[in-house]
Order: sequence, then structure tokens, then C-alpha cells
Amino acid sequence: MQMQAAKRRDRVRRPGERVSKGWLFLLPMAVFAFLFQYWPFLQTAVQSFCTVNFRGDITGFAGLENFRYLFSRREFSAALRNTLVLTAVNVPVTLALTLLLAWMTAGRRRLSPLTETLFALPMAVSMASVAMIFRVLLNPTVGYVNYCLGLNVGWLTDRHWAMPAILIMTVWMGIAFNYLLFLSAFRAVPKELTDSASLEGAGPLRLLFSVQLPLISPTILYVVCTNTVQAMMTNGPVLILTQGGPARSTMTLIYLMYTSGYGSSNYSLAACVSLISFGLTLLFTLLIFTTERGKVHYQ
Amino acid sequence: MTKKRRAAALTALDLLALLMALLVLFPVFYGVCGAFKTPEEFAAWPPTVLPNSFRNTENFTRVFAQAPMGRYYWNSFVMATMTSAVRLVLAVLAAYAFVFFDFPGHRTCFFLLLGTMMMPPDTLTIANYQTVSRMGLIDTYVGMGIVSFAGASQMFMLRQHFLTSPKALREAAMLDGCGDLRFLVSILAPTASPLLMTLFLQSFLTQWNAYLWPLLVTNRPEMRTVQVGLTMLTTVDGTNYEVMLAGAAVVMLPAMLFYAALRRFVSRAMENGPLLS
Amino acid sequence: MKTGKMLILALLLTALLTASAAAETSITLWHSMSEGAGALMDEFIQTFNDTVGKERGIHVDAVFQGKYSDATMKMNSILAAGQVDTLPDVMQIDATGKVPYASAETAYTVDMALQDHPEADLSAMLSPAMQNWNLAGTQLGLPFATSTTLMYYNKTLLDAAGVAAPETLSQIGALAGLLPETTAEGQKLTIYACLPNTPTLANWLGQLGSDLVDGHNGTESTAAALSCVENGALVTFLREWKALYQTGALDNSAGSLDAFAAGQQVILTESSSKVSALLDKIGGRFELGAAPYPKVNKEASAGATVSGSCLVMFGTDAAKREAAWTLMTWLTGPEVQAKLAAGTGYLPGNTGAAEKEIWQNLIAAYPQYEVGLSQLKETPASMRSVTVGPAADFYYAIQNDVSDMLEEDLSPEEAAEMLEEDLNGLLSEYLRANP
Repeated sequence: MQMQAAKRRDRVRRPGERVSKGWLFLLPMAVFAFLFQYWPFLQTAVQSFCTVNFRGDITGFAGLENFRYLFSRREFSAALRNTLVLTAVNVPVTLALTLLLAWMTAGRRRLSPLTETLFALPMAVSMASVAMIFRVLLNPTVGYVNYCLGLNVGWLTDRHWAMPAILIMTVWMGIAFNYLLFLSAFRAVPKELTDSASLEGAGPLRLLFSVQLPLISPTILYVVCTNTVQAMMTNGPVLILTQGGPARSTMTLIYLMYTSGYGSSNYSLAACVSLISFGLTLLFTLLIFTTERGKVHYQ
Repeated sequence: MTKKRRAAALTALDLLALLMALLVLFPVFYGVCGAFKTPEEFAAWPPTVLPNSFRNTENFTRVFAQAPMGRYYWNSFVMATMTSAVRLVLAVLAAYAFVFFDFPGHRTCFFLLLGTMMMPPDTLTIANYQTVSRMGLIDTYVGMGIVSFAGASQMFMLRQHFLTSPKALREAAMLDGCGDLRFLVSILAPTASPLLMTLFLQSFLTQWNAYLWPLLVTNRPEMRTVQVGLTMLTTVDGTNYEVMLAGAAVVMLPAMLFYAALRRFVSRAMENGPLLS
Repeated sequence: MKTGKMLILALLLTALLTASAAAETSITLWHSMSEGAGALMDEFIQTFNDTVGKERGIHVDAVFQGKYSDATMKMNSILAAGQVDTLPDVMQIDATGKVPYASAETAYTVDMALQDHPEADLSAMLSPAMQNWNLAGTQLGLPFATSTTLMYYNKTLLDAAGVAAPETLSQIGALAGLLPETTAEGQKLTIYACLPNTPTLANWLGQLGSDLVDGHNGTESTAAALSCVENGALVTFLREWKALYQTGALDNSAGSLDAFAAGQQVILTESSSKVSALLDKIGGRFELGAAPYPKVNKEASAGATVSGSCLVMFGTDAAKREAAWTLMTWLTGPEVQAKLAAGTGYLPGNTGAAEKEIWQNLIAAYPQYEVGLSQLKETPASMRSVTVGPAADFYYAIQNDVSDMLEEDLSPEEAAEMLEEDLNGLLSEYLRANP
């Protein structure tokens, strides 16, 4: 009786109430997102079509002039290319590496608490500290890496090696968090499923590809998306370690925004780059999401 | 026989994993060791990992002598905890809305919120400074955290997690007369507690390590955070690595301890937590 | 227990009350001094509050505001928000803060202060340092932390080879055959590494009697174009630079203080304020030589421009302005400047500091500290540091273009054309947005 009543209530209330309740749950986050992200970003968007003076005041309408100027800059094509390369390398490498590490340590054994903690600890180190440590480690003359590997590579000063150095650092910075996510995803795979697959004679690899990976695919989607966003917005390591150099070889879009925009009192240029970076990243994210349908499994 | 071989293989796997973990952690170890070095040691050839003596704590003395680190720790802790908590609550609510309510435009809304991740933070700084100072939030913890209250990345991860939880669970709860909020708090959240902890931790550490924004919105020295305190010791492009690294270690260590403490909590929650079945 | 707490509270209250009674005017100073300089700054303010401040009823709160770039960003944000009351009474800025400061509605410039204080005598200020904070004929601030660029060298190594410290770029090139190719530890020995940028290029052009950009390097009016092309100065420098590279003595990368201190680089051009850091890092492994900035060629005059930071004032309140001016003249006076110089390696921005004992003792022990000061005295009075709107882009465009000349084997004339196109483009774009 009661159940039926509840059901009926549910059905009766459904249309209007479910909608308004949904909005209610969404509202708090939406308010802050609008106030501190969309609102300032809209101002940025406006600035990209205007002339803006060195103080950031809009002084006139510029149409597409700012974009035309941006595209004429040699730095822009370099920044675009480098950012795409960074993303194209960073995302798959981080994904493969952290998946592998999580898979290796997913079983609960004697050493696992230790290993897990060690893998996760880099998360506590700030970007600035990481950059500082890597700068000392990769220092071509007094750094430990060259000495240890017997190399003579100007990691941060050679135009062919600077980008790999930035890549190593960005991948390193992403390990801890993604590892933790994958680890809990692997462990959340119901044991019955893996056991029954094992009983049917599936080896660890078969198990991985036909049982575990499909089940953790929601986490994979998340990691691919957020890493793409982060890689597209790489700035910190470049700012601290190479300043986009040598010879523009590590110039990224956001770093370009930082130097050519704020560092050079050109707010409208910064706005243009910002808008382009946003558009590209959104496009990539949407593309990744189109693969969601059908390939990502939700129970 | 096969059991023995399997055990041996697993041990080998564990040792390999441990080795890789040590490799990953090496830069941190190197950095901490560097905090005990003298300027001369840094310029010496061949470079070393270990300092001449771990008893050389002069760099740490300088860190604590220069800045009231105790006060800074407290500020960072309060700011990071508050911000992460609010961020997580808002993200949970929004993720719940996206998974369990079917309202028109909900996919568009999801991507709109996701879009906030892709806005370069530097472009938002000046306008946000104006908003926050007009709200009278300069020199407050809320002012330091308010711009990070909307955490799209957390919301996204929680959505992914909620999507995997069986729909039947909610229907059953609803039939028992359980409201959405109660279902969320007493059934859904506990099953997601390991994830919530991980997200909280990540958010906490990001806030703990924030620099530019807390600096911009504070004018009084007693409201400063640890990262700002670090810059007082030395600038990133400075040359006395040993003091920089000592400062970094001083900021990093409490964060690591916090992590280790939370991790125990997380793993216990993972083991005891009600599993979805 | 309770009474003890009450007592402390009462004591604190009285302390607060007396403090506020004595300090009729309370002002704020924002600074960007970190490391040892930060501790010194705190010490100075303490001394000021205890002495001059006590006499005149001024209390100063010194607040660290991050690096110069952070502090400037904060100033810009406040100016953009129009919240001038948030600004401090005195602020330390570097070159990038000049233009925004000059545009601030509540800027209380030194020129304005001089009208209020006709008796003030600034003749003891180091004149190249003073000029550095003059924009379009207005004296904005007073020099606080002053430095110039020097040439440091590994004296032990040069002595062993029996050569004197080089004075020109070609003399650096001549070292190529005279020094060993590796260090005692078997590491590659680099003679000189440098990537020319805005200040260093301005130094070398200035030695040839040319500015980098018009408007007297942007200090008299907003720079609109390069002014080193038609007079041939740019090509002259590029020729010398390429010739130096071809001798093998020049490595096309930013010079590294670490490599130098490790004995793997013989010559380093760096800020004069790095003397202390270098002495620390070298730790007696070799003798540190300090010499004037290298000349482009024999005909060039010696010298290099000034850099560093200054103190500027904001505000409209007469009492606070008075207090700010008192603090500023005290901080840039001989006493403080001598102490700052001795503690950090900055040059004293006040000529009176040279007579102070602390400075005398310092240069007696480490003559390296004095080279910067004597260099500034020899530098032609017409030489100016560069002020351009697109500062960061300008800096890196010079680095990249000059670097491309070496790596891609362009002729100096081609490189000059490239520089002209890139840099003039940046300037005209800035003028479009800031007519």
C-alpha cells in the first residue's frame, strides 16, 4: 500500500518538481561559476574585439584587428604547435603510465600501502617547488641527471631538449593524482567479475582488456579529459624553467598570453589567446566526449 | 607449484612497483636533501644527492627566522580546508543533479560548467580582484577561497562515479521514502567516500600551494599563507637553491603528513565502506 | 591564572594605546625585498619607527608584496578597479611599474614632493640612478636598490693562462685559444655564454653612442621605433657578436651563475648585486674577478645602464604625504644605503654612503663590490635604461632574433632587418592601443 502510494506520489510530482529540484542542486555551483569564471571571462571575450590600453581600460572597438595581429606573430604559430605537441604526448604517456602503475599495485599485498603512499606523495609538492627541483636536477653543468646518465645535454638551454624537459616535468606532476584515481577504480571492480573471468581461464592481460578496462572506463574518460585540459593550458613549468625559450621552442599558448599579453601590457592580445585556447580545448573535450557514447560503460 | 610461481611473480611485480615508486619520488628526495646543503655544495662538481651532513640545519633556521611560519601554516590550513570543503559540497550537489535529474538542457549545463576548467586563470585575475574587493572580502579567508568554490573538475569526476552507481539503488531508496538529500548524504556519499577523500586531498593541496591569488587579496601580513611566506625567503629565479629547497620542504612536509593521515582514513573507508551490491 | 591573563591583556592594551598616541600618522610601505634584503628591510623600518618616526610621530607598517611583478600586478589591479585607497603610501617598484605608476591618479611624485619641500636637497643621490626613475621629465621616485651589469671572471684561471681580464668582445674571443678546453674535473669549459636582451643590448648600443629606441630609450616620450638602425650601431654590434661566436668563445645560451661558480664558465655578465651570492657559491675554490661590462669594440666608451628598484609615493592626505616623504628620504639616505649595499651587494644609491665606515670596510675586504659604482661613474651621462610598453616581448624578441643569427647563420645585416621588423612591429602595436 505504502509503496504504491509513494510510487504514485513520485509519478504525480515528477514533471515540474524534478526539473526545479535539479536546478536547485545545480544552483550553488552555477552561481559561483558564473560570478568568478564566466563573468570575468565574458569581459575577456569583449576585450579581444577592442583596443585596450596598458591599464586594462577598453578604449575603442577593434573588430578582428587583434586577431589579425596575433596571427601575424611568429610566436603564435610556435605556441600553437608546441601546445598541440605537448598535449599529444603528455596525455597518452600519462594515461599509459598511471594505468600501468595502478594495475601493478591494485592487488592488496604486503607492500601495497608503502608503494601507494610513495606514488601519491609528489601530489603534495607545489608546482613552484617541483620546477625548482627540476631546474637543479636538469642543470646542464652542475645537475645530477647529466652526471648520473653521463650525458652532456643542455636540458633547458638547447632548443631540441627543452621541450622534452618540460614534458618530463609535466608528466611527473600528473602521476600522483591520476594514479590514485585509477587505483581506486581498479579496486572498485567487483571481485566476483574478475574471479569468474579467471576461472574461465583468462590471463591477467585478457582480464585487463576485457573486464577491468571497460569497467574503469568512466575514470579513463575523466583522466583523458582533464589531462587534455591541463596540457593545453601548460604555463607554470615554462614560466619558471625556460621562459618559452630557447628560441621559442617551449612557447605555449598560455605562456604567450602571459608574456605577450600581461608581460607586455597588451590585454587585448592576451584576451585573443585566451579565447582561442578556450575554444580549442573545448573542442577537444567535446570530441573526446563523442567517443563516450558506446565506448564508456556505466553500470 | 603454480601457486608458488604465482606468488613469486607477484612479489617480483611488487618489487618492480616499489622501484618505480622510488624513481618517481627521487626528485622529492633530492629536493629535501638539497635543503641540508651549503651554497658551495650546490656548485661543486661532481654533483651529489646526499648533503655532506644532515646536521646542517642552517637553511631551516633561516626559513623560520624570516617569517612567522606558524601563523602562515594556520592561515593556509584554514583557507585550504574551508575552500576544499565548500568546493566539494557544491561539486557533489551539481554532480548529483546531472546524474539523477533529467531536466531540459542538462547536457548543455554540464558542458558549460566543464568549460570553466578551460579558462586560463590569469585572464580572470584582474576582474575577480575587482569583484572580491567590492564585496569587501580583502584580507579574509573567504576572499582567498571564493574564486575556487566552483570546482568543475571535481564535479566531473563525481559525475563519472555516480554514473556507475546502480540506478536501482536510488529507486529503492526513494520507495523507502528517502528524499534526495538524505539519499545523497546517507547512502551515496558513503559509497563514494574514497573518491571524496582523494578529491578533497587534491583540492586541499592545490589550495595549500596557491600563491598569486592569496597574495593579491591580502594586504595584512597576518593573513598571509605559507606560499607567500616562501617567496619572502627567496624568489623562484633566485640563486640560493638551498634556502629555496628548505622553504619548499617546510611547506611540503605538513602537506605530506596530512596526506598520510588522510590516506589511512581513505583505505579504511575503502575496506569497510558499504560496497555497492 | 586568570589575573595573569588579564595583566597581559592590560599590558598589551596600554602598549597599543601608547603606540597609537605616539604615532599620529600611520603609513604603509609595500616592498618586494626577499632573502637577506627582506630581513634588512624589516630592520630598517624598525629603526625608523624607533628613531625618526618616534620624533616626528610617524609609524610605518612594512608589508612584503611578493616579487616586483606580483606587486606591479597588484597595483595594476587596484588601479583598474579604481580603488586607490587600497594603495600604500610608499611602494617599491621596478622598471615595469614605472608607466602604470605614472598613470595613477593619486601618484605623489618626487617632483610634487619637491614643490612641497623646496628645502630638500637631492644632490647627493647617484645621478644615473636618479635618471632611471625619471619618466618624460617627471621624477617619479627615488632609487632604493640600485645595480648595474658587470663582467665577472674566473681570475685564477686567467692568471694561470697569463692573460689579463678582457675589456672588449674581441678580447673575449681571443681567449679561445689560450685557455684549456676542459676543467680540472674533465668538464667542458665554456668561455662566455650570453643571450643579449633589452638591457644588455641597450648597454652595448649605448657604448656606441646610440639609443635602442627613440624618445631617448623611451624615457622622454613613448618609444615608437628603433633608433639604432640608421646610425649603424645595431649592425656594428651584431658584427662583433657574430665574430665572437665564430671564435668559439661564445656559447649561444643564457650565462649560468651555477656553471660559473662551478668553474665551468670563465666569464659571466651579471647584475652587480650578485656579488654576495657568487662569493658564497664559489666558496674560495677560485678567485672571483669583477670588471666593467665588456665594450663592443675598442672605439666604444665603457659603461652600462642602471637597473634595480625605486620607492614611489601615493596619496592625497597632507600628513601622510609628509610622513611618506620623510620615510622615503630616510630610506634613500646615506646611512641606510650603505647598510643595504653592505648587506646585499646593491650599489649605494646615495653618494654619501661611500663615506660610511660599513661601506669602506666592505670594499677593503671585497674590492669586487666597488666595481659597479666606479663603472657608473664612467658611464656616459646620456645612457638610459630602456622603457618600452611591450617589455616582455621586446626582451625575448631580441634574445630570439640574435640567437637565430648565430644558429641559422644569418648575416648581421639580415639579423638587423629582422630585429627592426619585429621590434618596430611591437612598438607600433603598442601605440595602436595606447595612442
